[in-house]
Amino acid sequence: MLLPEALVVTAAVVVLFAARLGWLPRTSRRYLPQVAAVVVLAALGVELWAGATVSTFFGGALVQDRFALFAKAAALLTVAVALAAADWTAEDSPALGVAMPLMAAFGVMVAASAADLVGLWAGLELAAAAAAVMVALRRPDLGLRLLVAGGFASALVLTGLAFLYATTGNADLTAIRAVLLNQAPALTLAIPVLLLLGGLSVRAGLAPFHVASVPAGVGASPLGAGLVVGFVAVAAAIVAIKLAAALVPVPAVFVPYAQVAAAVAMVGGGAAAVAVRSPRPRMAYLAAGQLGWVVAGLSTHFRAGVAASLFLLGAFAVAATCGPALLGRAEGGEPAVAGLGSVRPARAAGLALAMLSLAGAPPLAGFFGELTVAAALAQSGNFVLLGLGLLGSVLSTVAAVATLRVLFIQSPLEEARRGATAALAPLTVFSTVGSVAFCFVIAAYGVFAYPIIGLADQGAEALGLR
Amino acid sequence: MTFLIGMVSATPSPAPVPGANIFTSPFLLSLLVWTPVIVAAAIAVMPNPRGRYDTLMKQIAFFTILGLTFILFIAYSQFENFIPTMQYEEKLAWLPAIGVTYHLGIDGPGMVMLILSSLIGIASVVASIGVRERVRAYFCLLLLAQSSVTGAIVARDMFVLILFWGASAVPLAVLILGWGGPRRTGAAWRLLGYWGLGTAALVIGTMTLYSVTGGQSFDMDTLLKATLSPRIQLAVSIVMIVAAATRLPLFPLHGWVRDVYAEAPVGVTVIVAGTAARLGGFLLLRTLIGAMPAAGHILSPLLAALAALTVGYAGLAAMRSLDIRHVGAYLSMVPGGITILGFASVAPLGIAGSVLSLFTGGLAAALIVGICATVAERAQSRSLLVLGGLAPRMPKLAWLLTIAGLALLGVPILATFTAEVMTFFGAFKNQPIGAFAVAAGLAVTAVALAMLLRRVMFGAPNPEAPGVSDASLGETWYLGLLAGALLWVGLFPGGPKIPGTEVPLFDPGLVNQMGAGISDIASPYVAPTPGAAQ
Repeated sequence: MLLPEALVVTAAVVVLFAARLGWLPRTSRRYLPQVAAVVVLAALGVELWAGATVSTFFGGALVQDRFALFAKAAALLTVAVALAAADWTAEDSPALGVAMPLMAAFGVMVAASAADLVGLWAGLELAAAAAAVMVALRRPDLGLRLLVAGGFASALVLTGLAFLYATTGNADLTAIRAVLLNQAPALTLAIPVLLLLGGLSVRAGLAPFHVASVPAGVGASPLGAGLVVGFVAVAAAIVAIKLAAALVPVPAVFVPYAQVAAAVAMVGGGAAAVAVRSPRPRMAYLAAGQLGWVVAGLSTHFRAGVAASLFLLGAFAVAATCGPALLGRAEGGEPAVAGLGSVRPARAAGLALAMLSLAGAPPLAGFFGELTVAAALAQSGNFVLLGLGLLGSVLSTVAAVATLRVLFIQSPLEEARRGATAALAPLTVFSTVGSVAFCFVIAAYGVFAYPIIGLADQGAEALGLR
Repeated sequence: MTFLIGMVSATPSPAPVPGANIFTSPFLLSLLVWTPVIVAAAIAVMPNPRGRYDTLMKQIAFFTILGLTFILFIAYSQFENFIPTMQYEEKLAWLPAIGVTYHLGIDGPGMVMLILSSLIGIASVVASIGVRERVRAYFCLLLLAQSSVTGAIVARDMFVLILFWGASAVPLAVLILGWGGPRRTGAAWRLLGYWGLGTAALVIGTMTLYSVTGGQSFDMDTLLKATLSPRIQLAVSIVMIVAAATRLPLFPLHGWVRDVYAEAPVGVTVIVAGTAARLGGFLLLRTLIGAMPAAGHILSPLLAALAALTVGYAGLAAMRSLDIRHVGAYLSMVPGGITILGFASVAPLGIAGSVLSLFTGGLAAALIVGICATVAERAQSRSLLVLGGLAPRMPKLAWLLTIAGLALLGVPILATFTAEVMTFFGAFKNQPIGAFAVAAGLAVTAVALAMLLRRVMFGAPNPEAPGVSDASLGETWYLGLLAGALLWVGLFPGGPKIPGTEVPLFDPGLVNQMGAGISDIASPYVAPTPGAAQ
């Protein structure tokens, strides 16, 4: 059943058209996000209720399996919480602010269900385009920069996919896997995979390819930053997981690249997070570091490792997308969030949990995900990568605690000195509910890890991993 | 000597313990672990306009810890002595895909640590009564720290242990950052850095065990009871020693000690020195001594060397320091060295002494850092060049500092005496050089303590020093609690008896509790009886 996709994309298109035709009144800023969040929650309900039935659509181009169920549920939950928790006074356009996250979610859902290379590429581009729109709304220069970097990434991905198609003679992921079962690793396969991973790394903002995404995320509106730092990376990770599952018969063509990328991202992300002080770039670097753990799980190329990556990806999606949304106006750097704990306790608690979860600090969602990946790394005997990951996590925790100090220990700025770049998010019931819901998801992810990791494991199995 | 050996090889309790079986709960340990978290969450969302309910929040935190201590003492009273298996066990599947279970349980050493944690928890909250700024956040974080320490004690699954072990660092670091002294930032980063290194080492050690045992389970019953090759035992043990050394702390991984104990608020120093640091010793007991006897034998000279270096360094550094809080910080390293010496003995008596020294050392370390911090606050100076002849003006603190010093040295009638005697008797047989070196280190420590007492308390008064005052009621209570516990266990290590009978007055005694588990842990280290092989 593609009803969740239909609900999400219809809502996005309706909002876009309504805004274009001038049907949305000025007061829509108040209720539009709430309506959108309800629609997304309804889609999530449908997905959880009907998504367990395995089925295919469009002649097998889209497949609804446990992997799709997990990824789509995570994406929908993330969007619902992000819409609720965002500071809507900091968004440039409520209509685009609602529509673009929905479009990005649709892109992630397409990528999650894709059974062939075209679907993967389409889903990834859709999510990335939505993020570029959000960035360009506030900073056209950064939007252009993101577009150029995205174009470069897209070219790499497309070239890699084309080579992969040429080498295997198939665009279908299952067929590619079947063809590769009888092949030895070869340069003709290793080169396209390198191009693919390079493109996906640029898309995901994985260190050291974060030169476009982090500045874009810093300059965008809160939700735009969430899309760039979180959602696009999630889409890229989903594409990477599905491609890795197809390439599992010849792991030598992608594992070394993945290990290097993971090591650089984990340590580089943590070190960069310590080096910066402003909360939004710090969050972006923390996210880059945690994404390294996702790639590390992928590099194990067996079911438990991929399941661990997927499990962590769920935690990453929520924290990396909703974190910047919770941050609100942070152009003022640290002073903008100083003492937030005393003036906006729910938002500050959400921010703290987002930071700590992205850092992998116990006992939050990110910790469970990272330790699950660590277990997979240990099983595969890759203790060097494990050690580097732990080093990155320690650095990330130091960075997260530094922001916690600003949030809860420092005194808040006086209202007169705040200005536009450090204005406080208005205290509304909706945003408070969103912040509390976010806190609950991040804190309860570990408590309810039993069914979640079970679904992730089934998702890895659905990709054909044993 | 017979008395000491009797502690280790105790026979079943001759009579039922009064109070046994009046309280049962299948979730007792979860109650102890999660109640502070729930209360912290309640305090966090409690309305508190303009700090109107600050006092109430302090009271809630205090009575929460007190109530849990009361429940623990009932559990303690009905704890089945002399049973080497885990008690109050809870086991639920958590992450079955990778073999993680929510498995909690305690044996004798665990019960000893839990009692220590409760006493330190009370002392910590009472020591924090004077906090005036951001009371809500302070007590939330303190309760979270207490919860994580308790969780690490009762964890029977390595994943759960890593969770609680790692979780304790964040609230403590934020407490130091928010309520610490002028150099708090450096202190917090050092704490996070060293403890982060320890957590990383623990994760690597655990993952190695997980990997070599087939990657099926994180349960300690599986990981720590597996038959491992001596090479793997050695590799994992070294990593675990690194993890423990960052906590206990042991030379040369003690870099956080001076700044943290000197800059943290008093209540935080008490909980760090009292229980959070003792977790290092407890980890070694569980993973190295209790699980890898081959590595224990091979590494015992290394452990003895670490103990000697730690105690010797602590004494020398305390002697050279001119800041009373730094002196307290260095002196608090001494009990950790004693604990490790007992492990280095790889003999039942020494190991039992180490377990007791976890309890007594926790109290003594908390007392010395707490009292040094309190003296510095009350005398309005930390410099030993300024402080002098304070005993007449702060008699209570003078007495308590003297007791703390004697406790560190392990003089009779204080609990540390029993622990140190057991440790040294165990160690002199197998590690005589290490034991002599630690004894020499204790002699240096004694000189450092004597210099401290002479200079600060009993020397000539400094007429130019700022005004001083004696301990307040709250300070007296928390320091008195720690000193009283040292005296109580020192006078009645086997528990008080009803006069004229062998029936325990209300409990079976702390050292007897250790019997439940110690014999099992120490059995690989018992020397074979001559002729037993035939």
